[in-house]
Amino acid sequence: MARLRAIWTAFRHQALHFFADPQWLIPNIIAPFVMTLVALMLFRSTSGNVVLYAILGGGMMGMWGNTLYASGFSIQSERWWGTMESILAVPTPLIWIIAGRAIWNSIIGILNGLFILVIAVTVFQTPLNLYDLPLFLMAFILTLISLACLGLVFSSAFVLTRSASVLTNGLEFPIYVGTGTMFPIALLPFWTHPLAFTLGPTWGIDAIRYAALSDYSWGLAPGYWGDLAIMGLLSVCYLVIAVWLFKQVDYRARRDANLGRY
Amino acid sequence: MADYVANPLRVFWSSAVLAKRALFAWLSPAMWLMQLFTMSLFSIAFFVYVATYVNNPEVSVAFVAVGNALQSVAYVSIFAVCNITGEEKEQGTLQALLVSPANRLSIFVGRAMFQIVNGLATVVIAFFYAAFLFGVDFSSANLLTLAAVVLMTTFAMTGFGLMLSSLGMYLRTSMVIANIFLFIGLLFNGVNFPVSYLPAFLQPISYAMPMTYGTEAARAAVSGASVMDVTGLLAIEALIGVVAILLGYAMLRFFEHLARSKGTMERLY
Repeated sequence: MARLRAIWTAFRHQALHFFADPQWLIPNIIAPFVMTLVALMLFRSTSGNVVLYAILGGGMMGMWGNTLYASGFSIQSERWWGTMESILAVPTPLIWIIAGRAIWNSIIGILNGLFILVIAVTVFQTPLNLYDLPLFLMAFILTLISLACLGLVFSSAFVLTRSASVLTNGLEFPIYVGTGTMFPIALLPFWTHPLAFTLGPTWGIDAIRYAALSDYSWGLAPGYWGDLAIMGLLSVCYLVIAVWLFKQVDYRARRDANLGRY
Repeated sequence: MADYVANPLRVFWSSAVLAKRALFAWLSPAMWLMQLFTMSLFSIAFFVYVATYVNNPEVSVAFVAVGNALQSVAYVSIFAVCNITGEEKEQGTLQALLVSPANRLSIFVGRAMFQIVNGLATVVIAFFYAAFLFGVDFSSANLLTLAAVVLMTTFAMTGFGLMLSSLGMYLRTSMVIANIFLFIGLLFNGVNFPVSYLPAFLQPISYAMPMTYGTEAARAAVSGASVMDVTGLLAIEALIGVVAILLGYAMLRFFEHLARSKGTMERLY
């Protein structure tokens, strides 16, 4: 019960922060939004499913951008404000506080993804003919949960570095490239494929495309359900890693007593 | 003593040195190097693979790789430079800076000097990636012209960043405009597709930004054009850079006046 209360309070706190300064939504979504528009300009001589492929990728990038920025900057902000030590010193483990924030960020991530879809569809007038809407929604929500789990891993790692904002900026494009948000990962060099396969969003966007596109020919071998199963497994791994990392971070922070100076 | 404090050249140099020290006070050299070597790599890779997948005959891999290699300077000249004033606000040092009698133009321009060096290094590395990782053919490139283009683009984009930095003094945070102008360049500057792809009413925006001329000149240099061939493009780019610096300086003075008269030094927005 105490943990649920901590999650709820952290969720509410994060929401209040967002409403106090909603302009932070812009840095989170501007990159994916512009990159989707660039891709749509390049796709302008094509139509139908190829364009939808790009729009779905843009939505995915919007969700990832939000997850990454939210997990990176929420920790960095605590450090700037000098509240990091207080948060770590309370009896509630840090992971439950971060989990509450991650849930709020996921909700905003849905808005980001939908915002990009709506703009792309209305401005570029691409019909959003989804092949299987229930499967699409299921893949969309599960991918978002997977992103939140990945965000937890990054959040825990960011506690131990003053360079969280640099890492946040630096990790944005590698994930866009590695997960094949806008192109099939078959185009990437073969040696990068194992790295791509360890990222939940790689499987998530593939499942989303299986559900959305009727003639999806670039799909990964496991298919829709296989993609979701692998993504689920990876998400559990992320959670286990995040819990372990948070314990390590907590121990190191108390032992070294230099949390604000990392 | 007053002359010593107000000496514009001394203030300029101090400002440049302090800006570099301030950067490395919070950013470790290892992290800076990581940023330097990876930022452009993944942004070029992203658009190169998109172009490969799209297979648009008008937009070749070389077109995209050269455009994005030059555009990588924006991560430094737009993003880092634009955030200078915002960071002063964030860290509470803006008031101390503005009550000093130091020459404002020297402070204003001096703080961006290290970022010019940083930007040049970023672009050189990015062109290295374009040549050796993404297979752009530089065999007929005029390297002297390319160097002139890189130098001029870095200067002009830093001027543009300084102008945005002044705007950041008025806003609650400069991060928002830094992000907007960093990324809309990908759309407006002819980096990933010809400017003619844009609707006609949007094209004037492209031609008001220095990078548009830079990307065109860079592609010409890679094709073997001489410095004389791209003089016109470089002249316009330089002009926009100078105008941006002057406009930025005027905005800085105006917002400083506004902040002093209203007593809202760090609360303007």
